[in-house]
Amino acid sequence: MTDAESPARREPDDFDALLAAYALDAVTEEERAIVEARLAESPELRAELAAHLEAAAVLADAAPPVAPPPALKASVFDRLDDVPQVSAAGATAPGGPAPAAPGAEPPGAEPPGAEPPGAEPPAASTADEREPGASLAGPAERAARRRWFQRPGVVIAAAAAAVLVVAGAVVGVNWPGPAGWGAQRSVQAIAEAPDAESVTVPSAEGGEVTIVWSEELGRSAVRASDLPDVGSASTYELWYIDEAGARPAGTFDPDAGAAYVVLEGEFTPGVVVGMTVEPAGGSEAPTTDPIVVVET
Amino acid sequence: MTLVQAPPPVTLRAAPAAARRRPARSDMLERVTDGEHGPAASDPTLDDLLVATGVGDRAAFGALYDRTAARILGLVRRVVVDPAQAEEVAQDVFLEVWQTAPRFEAARGSAISWMFTLAHRRAVDRVRSAQSARDRDARIGARDLDVPVDSVAEAVEVRLDHERAHVALAELSDLQRECVTLAYYGGLTQSEIAERLDVPLGTVKTRMRDGMIRLRRVMGVST
Repeated sequence: MTDAESPARREPDDFDALLAAYALDAVTEEERAIVEARLAESPELRAELAAHLEAAAVLADAAPPVAPPPALKASVFDRLDDVPQVSAAGATAPGGPAPAAPGAEPPGAEPPGAEPPGAEPPAASTADEREPGASLAGPAERAARRRWFQRPGVVIAAAAAAVLVVAGAVVGVNWPGPAGWGAQRSVQAIAEAPDAESVTVPSAEGGEVTIVWSEELGRSAVRASDLPDVGSASTYELWYIDEAGARPAGTFDPDAGAAYVVLEGEFTPGVVVGMTVEPAGGSEAPTTDPIVVVET
Repeated sequence: MTLVQAPPPVTLRAAPAAARRRPARSDMLERVTDGEHGPAASDPTLDDLLVATGVGDRAAFGALYDRTAARILGLVRRVVVDPAQAEEVAQDVFLEVWQTAPRFEAARGSAISWMFTLAHRRAVDRVRSAQSARDRDARIGARDLDVPVDSVAEAVEVRLDHERAHVALAELSDLQRECVTLAYYGGLTQSEIAERLDVPLGTVKTRMRDGMIRLRRVMGVST
């Protein structure tokens, strides 16, 4: 805190003031160019700007949030293919925590106004070479995905031959709706087991899925949020996957994207839990690529 | 409310990325009883999501969108005012987030600050290009630029950051707050603010800079 006080006590020189104004975008184009030229040469100034920008976020958060219309997200995603991601190498550009701000581009590269960012030079190469550990998917999930994709023939053939041992009295089958309170309670019961563990992963189709399991109870369950609606002709289906293949572990249809589901069948340690979109009624073996794969 | 009274020192930064595999009990309990409200502690942080977006993870980008869109649109709307234009700008902001996420470095700042910076720049650019100075002047005059500092919790919608922001802004002097908000919400340059307030440019510079330093101190942001 004292480091913020000491500069405050002296008369700000013009550049100190200009940098603060820059963080608020209260500068002209010419001033912007001056600031960015200095930023490019000085890590200290970039750190100073970063602190200003964190503080400026307070102003942003003081603006009342506005719920976007649902169509906005769709139109963003519709255009993703038109805007290739830039190279990470640009991270050394000026701009502190916001190196990709338009101002971090060479002056003039980003004309004022709402030009779609598609004008960016295509330079996605190094992004692909990034350390895969930076991905959201944990190592277990990636390994599981690889396993699924590398041996699809094995998995599916084995699954077709797998004997269905799912009995009717499985916990979770008879709950009133996938997101009903009964299902939530049974998911909670698993989560409350002393040895319960969980992993949260994004679904490849959007939304998030948390798998929770207890070896002691021999059960696992899914809590999903923001899953896209797959329509009445399709359903989500869960799978237990092991060396013997993929076993169906129940289907569900989320309520407003959310679902609490206890998997049918017994959970065994090390089993892989997968989720696919299948034709309504479910399949006996996966017919599509998994949208969630978690190794327990 | 107790959280509001005891903020962590660097409040705008998301919590450090926690291991996503963890004992599930408390998290699941919270989600079951409070399933609709906000991310649980074990959810990926915004920093995690932006980093994942940077390697082309669309699901992460979708989650990032879901968790930030109202804040981004809120900021843009505050600056641009016109709802339809604000939505256009917000869409461009998210496309730019997608496009430039590979350059985000969590060590150098928080994801939300990074996104706000993109959003604010675009919003100001839109305001400056789309409207003459005269239009903007009328627009600014027609609304209250000063953020209400006595904001009361809006039922369950209250977000911690939103509330804390008001608390922080209340720590500025009136003159500092005036300068900072004219710049940030009004999209005015220092010179335009000096003209508008009829004070010397040097005065505006000092107030603005001191206001920013003070905000940093209140928020516990140091270099």
